[in-house]
Amino acid sequence: MKKYDVIIIGGGILGCFAARNLAKYDLKAAVLEANNDVCTGISRGNTSIIYPGYDTKPGTLKTKLCVRGCLEFENLCRELDVRFEKRGSIMVAFGERSEGVLRKKLAQGVENRVPDLKLLSKEEVLTLCPDITDKVTMGLYCGNTGTVLPWELGIAAFENAQKNGVEFVFNEKVVSIRKGENYIIETERNTYSARGIVNCAGLRADEVREMLFEPHVRIVPTKGDYFVFDTGVSLRGNHIIFCEPEAKGKGLTLVPTVTGNLLAGPAEIPSEGKYDTGTTQEGIDFLLRNLKEKFPTLDTAHIIRSFSTLRPNPYYVNKNNDNSYVLNERSISNFTVTRDEEGFLSFIGIKTPGLTCCDGLGKLAADAMAEFLGAEINHNFDPVRKKTVRTDGLPFEERAELVQNSPAYGKIVCRCRGISEGEIIDAVRAGAKTLDGVKRRTEATSGRCQGSFCTERIMEIIANELCIPVSEVLKDSIGSKVLEGLL
Amino acid sequence: MKKYDLLIIGGGCAGIAAAIAAYGSGISKIALVERSDILGGILNQCIHSGFGLERYGKELTGPEFAKSLLCEFRKISADLYTETTVLDLTKDTAVISGKHGYEKLRFDAVILACGCRETPIGALPVTGTRPAGIFTAGQAQSMINLKKMDIGDDVVILGSGDVGLIVARRLKILGKNVIAVLEKSDHCGGLERNRVNCLDAYDIPLKLNTTVTEVCGTGRISGVYAKDLTTGECSYIPCKTLITSVGLVPERDLLESFGNNALPKNVFLCGNCRTVFDTADSAASDGAETGRLAAEFLKTGIRTYSSHPEKSARPLKENETLCLECPRGCILSVKNGRKSGGRCKKFT
Repeated sequence: MKKYDVIIIGGGILGCFAARNLAKYDLKAAVLEANNDVCTGISRGNTSIIYPGYDTKPGTLKTKLCVRGCLEFENLCRELDVRFEKRGSIMVAFGERSEGVLRKKLAQGVENRVPDLKLLSKEEVLTLCPDITDKVTMGLYCGNTGTVLPWELGIAAFENAQKNGVEFVFNEKVVSIRKGENYIIETERNTYSARGIVNCAGLRADEVREMLFEPHVRIVPTKGDYFVFDTGVSLRGNHIIFCEPEAKGKGLTLVPTVTGNLLAGPAEIPSEGKYDTGTTQEGIDFLLRNLKEKFPTLDTAHIIRSFSTLRPNPYYVNKNNDNSYVLNERSISNFTVTRDEEGFLSFIGIKTPGLTCCDGLGKLAADAMAEFLGAEINHNFDPVRKKTVRTDGLPFEERAELVQNSPAYGKIVCRCRGISEGEIIDAVRAGAKTLDGVKRRTEATSGRCQGSFCTERIMEIIANELCIPVSEVLKDSIGSKVLEGLL
Repeated sequence: MKKYDLLIIGGGCAGIAAAIAAYGSGISKIALVERSDILGGILNQCIHSGFGLERYGKELTGPEFAKSLLCEFRKISADLYTETTVLDLTKDTAVISGKHGYEKLRFDAVILACGCRETPIGALPVTGTRPAGIFTAGQAQSMINLKKMDIGDDVVILGSGDVGLIVARRLKILGKNVIAVLEKSDHCGGLERNRVNCLDAYDIPLKLNTTVTEVCGTGRISGVYAKDLTTGECSYIPCKTLITSVGLVPERDLLESFGNNALPKNVFLCGNCRTVFDTADSAASDGAETGRLAAEFLKTGIRTYSSHPEKSARPLKENETLCLECPRGCILSVKNGRKSGGRCKKFT
């Protein structure tokens, strides 16, 4: 049995940041992740926005962490060498009702002490974002809203936590937890013991908690469909735009991401369960209709991908007389952090603005565990992580010298994004084991051809680096072999 | 910095033919840049026959056609850069990256012969999941024929482009179960000869007015929903592999640096990079003609345009520009002296 001070269940962005913050203490910690890589669940797909904190009620944990998280985000990304763009955002209204929402958000933002926040007239909105329909009536500008690639950030935290001594074990799905002197955690393959547990199991966080405790909060996911536009399609002004619909209903958000692709979504729809990640006709139609209506000049012929994500909505549950459980009608709007025992902390249903708060929540978990276990500060903790080489954007001479010394950085594999063989090898050596793992680390295959030219080459590189037959290479999770074999 | 009279980007049939023709027309300082480690481009993966009739008067396989072109190419004097990609292009300089280095090449004229890319499934209005087991037709062809990869059984093919039809036959020959080719329009997208030789001769059903609306499966694809567009009925087809053959887009990313302006006179497009040709022979012949025209331009400064295909036959007038994006390379008129053209109606 492997013994640890703290075990983190789940290697999503939250698990990675809990791990990185735990590494700041003198504790033996491990992350158990059910999948074969970090950030493959909720963290891999969301609107990728760093929120300034005017959306949530004053005084809540959510607001506290969000406002602080946003202000500290630039520093965090600098420390982890992750791309972050402070684009600024405009929330736009189309009539009286939505103008009311904007005014309410402004008041809320002022109370939450969100800086650089102001209302814009119709003309001012159209000047900052000429691509929006002239039916717009008012805007709420915020200079601090930013965007980051959620998986890039999570992977950076993972690499940094690992470097500082936290172990990550993949393909370790937790099946049971019992309490003896310590917590005994059974996975499908191994048994672990830990004095403390941080439950960051994402969509399954409620199930993991219920392995030891009575039901209290349960997750009901909703789905969000998104479009990704080809690079070259952009919004003039490059702001993040939140459309607040005039008729009550779903909005639409446009984000110029750090990769230069415009992201549009989400179309929120009910989900058929925790594994239902397909896009829907309803969602796609909603997005197409709304884009046409709100951004008539955007050409939807340049959409290169659609994807769907799951959002973990937490609900309190009540016990019936027959011992069954029913959900409360309304979901919980604040972050749900439960501490059923001093050593067992659960994050259940961390959704928007969870990405903004990832470090704050990770710190909350680490500090709680450190206090409970009486841990000392780890003076050897090194907060700095350097990303692997990225040829694109290097000054000419520097790049020429790099290629001269290591020819692999000269051979371009992904032509659409200009990613070299050297960068893909680096990604595999840094932990990518699958095509999607390489994609999340390098962007290879995420361009306009969506990997139709380079997939086979990347498979060969992965196979070569991991010493496995090319026919064993996975697209993503277990069971996603690209090939059936060799001919 | 090395300096060439003519830089050719892309070493497929059009690019090689252009190099040979330009050399034959008296241009001696030529460079050919190819991103793969071998010349021939897509021909290498087209192991079926039906190539070369126009140029060599006999029917060859793709690799044989490539080899014949290569034999001609070896006789001319040209600098060859393999495993090298052009990353950036201006009117007189190309930035190249390859195993031999990252450098700039200067040129007087450039021919883009970069071929096409395939429309990926992400660009189609198909909902559902994105599991493993989905390939584009050209990708499947390359994996099977060049890498000996077994891409899977129980195949549905979406779209009836020529490559899709040829891959359908190839899979059938390999003993795979090709369930059907689904085509959303009321006629086959590929050439009649391919429909007859690849589908009919191998009993592969072609379902017209039918398209895929949803992909199912988590790890690997488990099936698709197909919609009959005449009746509106949807049916589930279990499958383990989905191949898309829904369209080719000329690979013109390098022209993006010219923005919406008309292309400089010394920038030529040829082969499938200019317009999607039905056959490799036509692309090669367009390449050859473009090579000659580029040579003429270098010697005289007179710019004329290739006559392949007939549709964009005529030379551009002073107030005209070429559409940068559409596969047909439409001719657009420049209004009020503003070079705002660049893209035809479909793309603005």
